[in-house]
Amino acid sequence: MAFIPIYLIFIPIIASMLVYLLHNKYVNYIIFAAQFFVTLLALKYYSIYNGLTKAQILSLGNWEKNIGIVLKNDQLSIAFIFLSIFIWWIILIYCWNKRKNDFKFLFFLMFLEGCFLGLLQTNDLFNLFVFIEIITIISTILILYKKDGYSVRAGLYYLLFNSTGMLFYLLGLILIYNVSGTLNIDITAQKISVIKDTNFIKLGYIFIMAAIGVKSAFFPVFNWLPKAHGAAPSSISALLSGLLVKSGLYAFIRLNDMFKIKGFEDFFFFLGFLTAICGIIFALSQKDIKQILAFHTISQIGMILIGISSSDSKIYIGGLMHIFNHAIFKSLLFLGAGAIINSYGIRRITEIRGVFKRLPFISICMIIGMLSITGAPLFNGFVSKTIIKYGIGKSSTKILMLFIINLGTSISFIKLSQIFWGTSARENHKNINVYSSMLLLTIMCIVLGIYYKPIIMILFGVNISYIHVFKIKNFISYIFTLSAGYIIYRKAIRKDHEIIQYIRHINISFGATNFLLITFVFIMILWEEIGKFL
Amino acid sequence: MSPLLSFIIVLIGIYGLVISKNIIKSIVCLNITQTAVILLFLNFGNLSDGNIPIIHDSSINIVDPLPQALMITAIVIGSSITALSLIISIKIFHYYGTLNWEKLLEREG
Repeated sequence: MAFIPIYLIFIPIIASMLVYLLHNKYVNYIIFAAQFFVTLLALKYYSIYNGLTKAQILSLGNWEKNIGIVLKNDQLSIAFIFLSIFIWWIILIYCWNKRKNDFKFLFFLMFLEGCFLGLLQTNDLFNLFVFIEIITIISTILILYKKDGYSVRAGLYYLLFNSTGMLFYLLGLILIYNVSGTLNIDITAQKISVIKDTNFIKLGYIFIMAAIGVKSAFFPVFNWLPKAHGAAPSSISALLSGLLVKSGLYAFIRLNDMFKIKGFEDFFFFLGFLTAICGIIFALSQKDIKQILAFHTISQIGMILIGISSSDSKIYIGGLMHIFNHAIFKSLLFLGAGAIINSYGIRRITEIRGVFKRLPFISICMIIGMLSITGAPLFNGFVSKTIIKYGIGKSSTKILMLFIINLGTSISFIKLSQIFWGTSARENHKNINVYSSMLLLTIMCIVLGIYYKPIIMILFGVNISYIHVFKIKNFISYIFTLSAGYIIYRKAIRKDHEIIQYIRHINISFGATNFLLITFVFIMILWEEIGKFL
Repeated sequence: MSPLLSFIIVLIGIYGLVISKNIIKSIVCLNITQTAVILLFLNFGNLSDGNIPIIHDSSINIVDPLPQALMITAIVIGSSITALSLIISIKIFHYYGTLNWEKLLEREG
């Protein structure tokens, strides 16, 4: 039973290979068996080690820890494992009707799951690099799966820019390896903490953070994300936005924990704010339903970055919780958008009308997802945002920044909700797979919104019962935000002003994006240098 | 000296990535940068008069074998990325008739 971490990686990969090799439509059901086994094994692992309150380390081939490959599981990684298995179940159920004979698609989907579970468990800096690169390659293939011009272009942009980013990771890795002499994250952390000469380490930290910034779409280098997530098939968009973007954020948490470098907390707070604002401004200007959702992924990543980069434990838990909540409601929104696009055949929100009449069930799920993302009480987005706000406490400029982010999100989803009004003929064609996967996500939205205390207690072992989120003040502030958002929408956004058109047509070319990446690195170095003098 | 030289090649590659307007040139520049990074890593593990690791019994003055093992993997990843991106660029040329980034991104749909 000690080898469960390896099974978690290899069961999906072997199942995917069987599907690819055997070419038989009955063999494709092996995927569900594999998925079932993985779920069972993860639960078993969780229960054997009492919720993994003590980290479990598995050294492959019984080599010494500092030279061998090591898998490590703790509370954080097992929580992410449960989340990813859940999201993969949803995606499989959602696309099963359409893709059940498409053995290539299923091969890549399941291979990706194995690699992602490997990324979550690895305790080795170089294996982290390898897993991230494999994930990049496979998700490129899934992005351009439709093989139309738009998605092929987005896929190439994604592949090239992400590999450029990962080169910086390799550069940082060289510097760190040169200092510590090992690749094991735990041992590196111990060695780094006693070394006095930190210039080398700080440069390595900056390079690695730049690479992670590319991977998880921070402020100046987010340009690949809306292209890729807008172009992919809807089920893959949900997977990318819900989960695969979090691979960068997970690495951010792990490596920040390893380096323990002080002085970047304010930097990441402002970076998170800029990321969020930028995502919102671009989202407000878009007309394509999937582009809007993709830009909102960027804005929510800014919010998560504000949370997880903080040294305050309450803000950190809020950010961590927001990763989970975002995974659930953003997948729900993307799956709903996919169903709507399937039914209408168009993607422009100015032309889609009367969704509520035509697809009532999907509309209800979408509305719950929208309430979650704008932070309505009783739904999950509200909980994590309130915890972050509680942690920030009295600092009024920071609270104002959070309010601006929330307001922008509300405006943009009021704009998106225009698709529900109007009339349209009812569609009688019912797709049980789509309905059941969306229903599961909707239930999770509500469950996480109400029973957040025991869930946080179980997953992260943190007691937050002293934070009362369901206050009258919060309800009133939500209604105020929503009505202010509605007024701004009516007055400013609804007419397609020239400035909005201008923002919509901004295209950042590949060279310019690389230039922004270099600028990002230099800004971090400058911040570090200025911090020395202050 | 030679770590500095490989770092200069890294910078050349990144400069190429920033200025090149053609997809094929971008891929080539990515390859240059990748190779230079690999060279840099190998330089750090290198000793000009070091012993061969594992085969020799003596553990004195041996070359660190780990960077070489790692860089084999990095080369494999780099070549697969190059292959995939070249195939995609053929597809792009089929659809759009151009390999210029700016002309490509201007097109709608």
